[in-house]
Amino acid sequence: MKYAKVYFDDIKVGDELPPLVKGPIQQIQLTRYAGASGDFNPIHQDDEFARAAGMSGVFAHGMLSMGFVGQAVTDWSGAGTVRKLGVRFAALVRLKDVVTCRGRVVGKSSKDDLHLVELEVWAENQRAEKVVTGRATVALPSRA
Amino acid sequence: MTIQINTSLIGKEYPPYAVTVERGKIKEFARAIGDANALYLDDRVGAASEWGDLIAPPTFAVTFRDEAADTAAFLRELGTDISRILHGEQEFELFRPLQPGQTYLCRSKVLDIYEKAGRSGPMAFVVRETSIADGSNEIVATMRHITIVRL
Repeated sequence: MKYAKVYFDDIKVGDELPPLVKGPIQQIQLTRYAGASGDFNPIHQDDEFARAAGMSGVFAHGMLSMGFVGQAVTDWSGAGTVRKLGVRFAALVRLKDVVTCRGRVVGKSSKDDLHLVELEVWAENQRAEKVVTGRATVALPSRA
Repeated sequence: MTIQINTSLIGKEYPPYAVTVERGKIKEFARAIGDANALYLDDRVGAASEWGDLIAPPTFAVTFRDEAADTAAFLRELGTDISRILHGEQEFELFRPLQPGQTYLCRSKVLDIYEKAGRSGPMAFVVRETSIADGSNEIVATMRHITIVRL
């Protein structure tokens, strides 16, 4: 069974992904992500450690925010469609922050049976500051 | 006080390591993100899909680690410690989704190390790349990781 949420033919440059809202970020989610990812850097768990490192408190794993961005893409394009996902971590995500992931189609290309859609993706906090910026490429089925 | 980063690590390749993906780890990872996609969580949906089993979320490869390696030792060799590092950038290229029960062979190397002035002072950027090959030695994914060291 082919799992297609969206077809290449129906996508236009400029189309926007439905925004995905995550959070408010709680410590328990950072602890859970540490366990799931294996990243036990205490800077995400231990406020005292984070302050001693000059970070004014714990902050979220960048990879958690990237995971949110990945979800925003696959909620729209379907799981297993992502060919590339690359981001820069532009600002820290802190406890109680609400992270909204967004994306926009910036290009389409086809070669043989491979139909690729390129997206600009980003995540912003509740002050509309970008915390993650990047690009994604998804491979979509064609109706043709 | 600033620290010196050991740029002689540029080009260094690390011994390959194998990772076998456990079904429960994929589910745990998806749930930690809060992503309830059935293709990550529901065995029956996975079995009925074009992949014949669950698949992993696009960022799952970040869990791949050499269990025999000592992360603290890498940071020491670099000339820093865990309190000074930040994640700068991350990229995944996926040729096929990662799946449970599969054993992948990972090869990591240091591509580049460079210094730049950041908003909060001088920083070093450490670029590492890991290629992930399946049982027939075909590359199924690569990931590129930029670590920022606050100098």
